[in-house]
Amino acid sequence: MTMTTRKENRRGLSRRAALRAGAGLLAAPAIMKVATAQTSGAFNWRRFAGQSIEVSLTLGPRANVLRAHEKEFTELTGIKVGSEAVPEQQHRQQVVIQFNSGNPQFDVLTVSLHVQKRLVGKAKWLHDMKPLLADSQLTAPDYDFPDFTGGGLRWATQGDGRMDTLPLNIDPWMIYYNKELFAARGLAFPKTFEEIVMAAEKLTDKASGQFGWVSRGLKNANVPVWTSFMLGYDVDPVNTKTIQLQTMTDGAIAAAEYYKKLNREFAPPGTVGFNWNEAQTSFSQGKIGMWIDGIGFAPPLEDPTKSRIVGKVGYGVMPQGPKARHSATFADGIGIPVASKKREAAYLYCQWATSKLMCNRLLQSGGGSPCRASSYTNPEVVAGIKLPREWLQCLQDSAAIGRQGLPEIVPVTEFRDVFGVGLTNTLGGADARAEMQKATEAFTPVLAKSEA
Amino acid sequence: MTAPIAAAAARGYGRNYLPFAYPALAITAMVIVFPWLFTLFMSAHEWKIGSPREFVGFANYVKLAGDPRFLESIGHTLWFTLLSVVLPIAFGTGAALVFNERFPLRGFCRAVFILPMMATPVAVALVWKMMFHPQLGVLNYILTSVGLPPSLWHTSIDTVIPTLVMVEVWHWTPLVMLIVLGGLAAAPTEPYESARLDGANAWQMFRYITLPLIMPFVVLAVVIRTIDALKAFDTIFVISEGGPGTASETINIYLYLQAFAFYNIGYASAIVVVFFVLIIVLAMVLLWLRQKSKWS
Amino acid sequence: MSAPARTSELSWLARRVASKLAFGFAVFVIVSPAILVMLWMLSLSLKNEVDNMAYPPVFIPSPPTLANFEAVFENSNLMRYLVNSLLVTGGATLVAILVGVPAGYGIAKASAHRTAICILIARITPALSYLIPLYMMFQMLGLTGSLWPIFITHLVITIPIFVYVMIGFFESLPPDLEEAALIDGCTLWQAFRHVALPLARPGIVVAMILSIIFSWNNFVFGAVLGGRQTRTLPAAVYNMLTFEQVAWGPLAAAALLVTAPVLVLTLFIQKEIVGGLTAGGVKGG
Repeated sequence: MTMTTRKENRRGLSRRAALRAGAGLLAAPAIMKVATAQTSGAFNWRRFAGQSIEVSLTLGPRANVLRAHEKEFTELTGIKVGSEAVPEQQHRQQVVIQFNSGNPQFDVLTVSLHVQKRLVGKAKWLHDMKPLLADSQLTAPDYDFPDFTGGGLRWATQGDGRMDTLPLNIDPWMIYYNKELFAARGLAFPKTFEEIVMAAEKLTDKASGQFGWVSRGLKNANVPVWTSFMLGYDVDPVNTKTIQLQTMTDGAIAAAEYYKKLNREFAPPGTVGFNWNEAQTSFSQGKIGMWIDGIGFAPPLEDPTKSRIVGKVGYGVMPQGPKARHSATFADGIGIPVASKKREAAYLYCQWATSKLMCNRLLQSGGGSPCRASSYTNPEVVAGIKLPREWLQCLQDSAAIGRQGLPEIVPVTEFRDVFGVGLTNTLGGADARAEMQKATEAFTPVLAKSEA
Repeated sequence: MTAPIAAAAARGYGRNYLPFAYPALAITAMVIVFPWLFTLFMSAHEWKIGSPREFVGFANYVKLAGDPRFLESIGHTLWFTLLSVVLPIAFGTGAALVFNERFPLRGFCRAVFILPMMATPVAVALVWKMMFHPQLGVLNYILTSVGLPPSLWHTSIDTVIPTLVMVEVWHWTPLVMLIVLGGLAAAPTEPYESARLDGANAWQMFRYITLPLIMPFVVLAVVIRTIDALKAFDTIFVISEGGPGTASETINIYLYLQAFAFYNIGYASAIVVVFFVLIIVLAMVLLWLRQKSKWS
Repeated sequence: MSAPARTSELSWLARRVASKLAFGFAVFVIVSPAILVMLWMLSLSLKNEVDNMAYPPVFIPSPPTLANFEAVFENSNLMRYLVNSLLVTGGATLVAILVGVPAGYGIAKASAHRTAICILIARITPALSYLIPLYMMFQMLGLTGSLWPIFITHLVITIPIFVYVMIGFFESLPPDLEEAALIDGCTLWQAFRHVALPLARPGIVVAMILSIIFSWNNFVFGAVLGGRQTRTLPAAVYNMLTFEQVAWGPLAAAALLVTAPVLVLTLFIQKEIVGGLTAGGVKGG
């Protein structure tokens, strides 16, 4: 069964999505030709019943939600799903190796847009979603594409206009803090970068094993921490217009020194080896004052079988930096390989995964922030969120000041590795400026060659 | 050998034995020839996955020679290998001497002792990593209970390689023990008896009788350990990922990074070639030593 | 008994006891690291998360729980991966016996050192360098998605082990019996099959055990070449790092499950292992 785009049926309506101010999320006008309700009747969820697809997901809350409801998808469409959730690093490597061979073994995959967007875009490994969205036979009439936030769409769209993934989740960074420890010292959540240092200092008591701060120290994983601070100095790591590294600017160096100070003086020993999971474990034991990371890591902190600080967790929006106030954001999308022989069935899955129902579920589980404005304005959905109200408020406020946390270049992993090594070295005492200099020199030729 | 047999041997049966090896050679060739050709071919190209290929001749090798991170990794590899060979050899030989004696429950103790070598490196490395956790790990608890300061284990640039070596020693000492035990078990008893009659003490017997007898086996163990230690991957990858920073980044880890994280297939291929040459050189040196010390 | 003789007898006794104690201590020191780590792994897998994260560490779980093991079986297709590992390792070892033992014999007899080196190159080459070209090759042959790629790459592990062990073994075997058979008119193959092969049992056992260990424990090939259905057990364990936390309980449970088959095998056949390696040394001659 071949799908020819029925140009004669497509209604060329352009819709402006009004600012969904209620959610506070960045929603910008999206001009798209979409299938409308008038052509309903031509769409049928069960059109490809009997087929089976392979779905390759990155291990995480998003994958958990999708896999938990997989059977519903099969009941709805009659399409069998073989899915797998692979840890981040391996997932990224595996999918690239498979893409490179020309014949990937999966029909659907989640893409870490903050790392691989340019890579998949440049190599054109994925289908463009726009024709699929415009096809009323393939897109459900109640899909409501204009519901997607401008931020999400920006993430999912490539520089040349192709939209090769559907936006699945945006992860803004914020600061978790231990309300009990703060109250014991009579501290309020910091409002500026200086206040973070002051609070961390007051909360650190090495004799009793209490520390004011914890964050990732492991190379590669620690770069978002640094860029979070960098954004407070109103500096992006790479100037997107000139494709030049801005990592030797005053703001970048100051951010690196800030990272060094916080982690060397107020963090528990050994953070040099910490990724998000070790930091999360440490924080959940109740002896750490503040932890900076993505908002999607909250659920285990409120789980009594895993955490000692249930009910004591505060959700703080990134404080004001010296020049600006931003929350670093990272995003995931879901896409279909060009080589897949089950494009339509795969598209139905992608649609389902980003449908209102599934987006609402994602929000309610506290495992991420979907890219649909309606999820945040629907009172029933909001009432069903399993985390404290404060969490949702933090999420919305953070998204309102969101700014991309990693540069949109092809060699993101190498960027994270080279600068991550430099940052880790500062934790061992090396000079921040010297390390940034070394990393910048090492990475500049890589960047030049890849973006040429 | 009797005269007819010697004469038969002199007729040169040696040559006709090669066909015995053909199937093995065929399979091995099939599986490694293509990758090797691919690697050599790729090492002369600049190729990042997702971008077009470009022939660059020796440029990758020149770049390697001037790559501080690669040169650093050679140092880490050699240091790690040295420790990972010397320590298991020393402990393994000692253990072999112990297990050569008869004592109650010897079989059980032997079985327990060789368990580490059988365990899956990835699985056990994950358990070790949990034990190394600076605040919650059981090893620091043990250290502090006996009054020693807690260690940073794999989270400090100074202690990461010794930490990794510790896991390697735990893992591979049994193999050395078994190899050396083989030599001890086959050792004839007469020299010991005559030495005892001559009044030699334990140390002298060890130094002048045991040591020369087991030397070929020790050398064999050194060769095997060296090749394996140079290529060690699983343990290092799981516990420190080459970190902190690049403090435990060996050639193999750097190779993995270039190939599978940065997708620089061309550059990674050049690393493979250089790495291989390094291993061959070291293996040749050790095999030459083995030939010299061959017993009987 | 005179006094001096008595004291010398006592001091001799004391020395014997002391040396026995020292010996026992040495055994204890040698054996304890091995067993303590295994016991800790067991302990971690039987404790719930709160206990696992406790500091000071809890050694005896209270109460012990099987929830971690349940979680492992629930969240992953462990039986499937077990079967995959069995097929791959069993198959690769079998093929290695069939081609590696004769090869070892032939190379030993012919003193063909150069041929030995060719096969050993496979052992020496870093495993990572096989991965991408082999993946592409299997892709071209249309084998991806099945167990064949992993099985074929494991041959690179098992065959060199057999060849190397059997070369050493056959080199140390006295040639008299075979020469006698040859004089009596046997072909080279018959001499091998009926004379040398039966004597080779200890060597084969050793090679088989080493081959099983290295193939079973291999992580890299299964991780990169394996798909969702075709992964091997160690590769699956690394995927068990759950998102929520470092989840020590399930991780230790998975680690234990992966290692268990080989460990059980060890406990049963340790005599063979030791016997084989010790018989590899020359008896007499």
